[in-house]
Amino acid sequence: MEVLEKRQDGICILELLGRLDSNTSPEFEKKIFEVIDDGTRSVVVNFASLDYISSAGLRVLLKAAKELKRSDGKIVLCSMKDYIKEVFEIAGFVSLFPITSSVVDAVEEF
Amino acid sequence: MSTDRVSLELRNRLSELDTLCQSVQQFGEELGLSNKALFQICLAVEEIVGNIISYGYADDAVHWISIVISHKQGILIIRLEDDGIPFNPLWAPEPDCECPVEERNVGNLGIHLCKKVMDEMSYERFGDKNILILKKNLNSMEK
Repeated sequence: MEVLEKRQDGICILELLGRLDSNTSPEFEKKIFEVIDDGTRSVVVNFASLDYISSAGLRVLLKAAKELKRSDGKIVLCSMKDYIKEVFEIAGFVSLFPITSSVVDAVEEF
Repeated sequence: MSTDRVSLELRNRLSELDTLCQSVQQFGEELGLSNKALFQICLAVEEIVGNIISYGYADDAVHWISIVISHKQGILIIRLEDDGIPFNPLWAPEPDCECPVEERNVGNLGIHLCKKVMDEMSYERFGDKNILILKKNLNSMEK
């Protein structure tokens, strides 16, 4: 898995490539918490190139969302494949995160 | 002709999950499964095996988890066998999916996902083994 980081108008956009599973989630957790600990309060996670997510990945996203909520920040997810979005629905995570179909729409959420 | 059965023996180490997913992926591709079906099958197996590896053993010794995946007339059957502590995932409480983000926790989320993406799940304790059988009807999935 790879995490690419971009900045746009004070928003941090993290693009995930590959698989977010038990083995790769710690790496993503480290990355997203580095961003939050640096004071970033607006985070977009771009799922366009993510092929796989398991509960381990969902766990990291929830932890980050909780942390951002505590500090008046916000996390928006975007560009999910249909079968990945379905996992968010099954997990009841669609009510926890704004999910948009593109990065442009995600940035508009702030 | 594609194989209609694959057997795996994995050690109780999380690094083995990569081997597991690669084998499931290869088996599914040979069957010509859709990306969605492949994803859901990998997810179900990874959640269960990950759970066994993380919580199934009271010692640090090496244990083996046996997985057999077979395919017959559009039904995919996954049989998992481990010698961990008795654990019936069918009894695991459902996670509360309604509460707000601050109160949300992810206990048993993996098992919940597995139940939802598979069509059937059955459990048996046989001697010192947990035997879990997962079934998915591939005919009912759009290609």
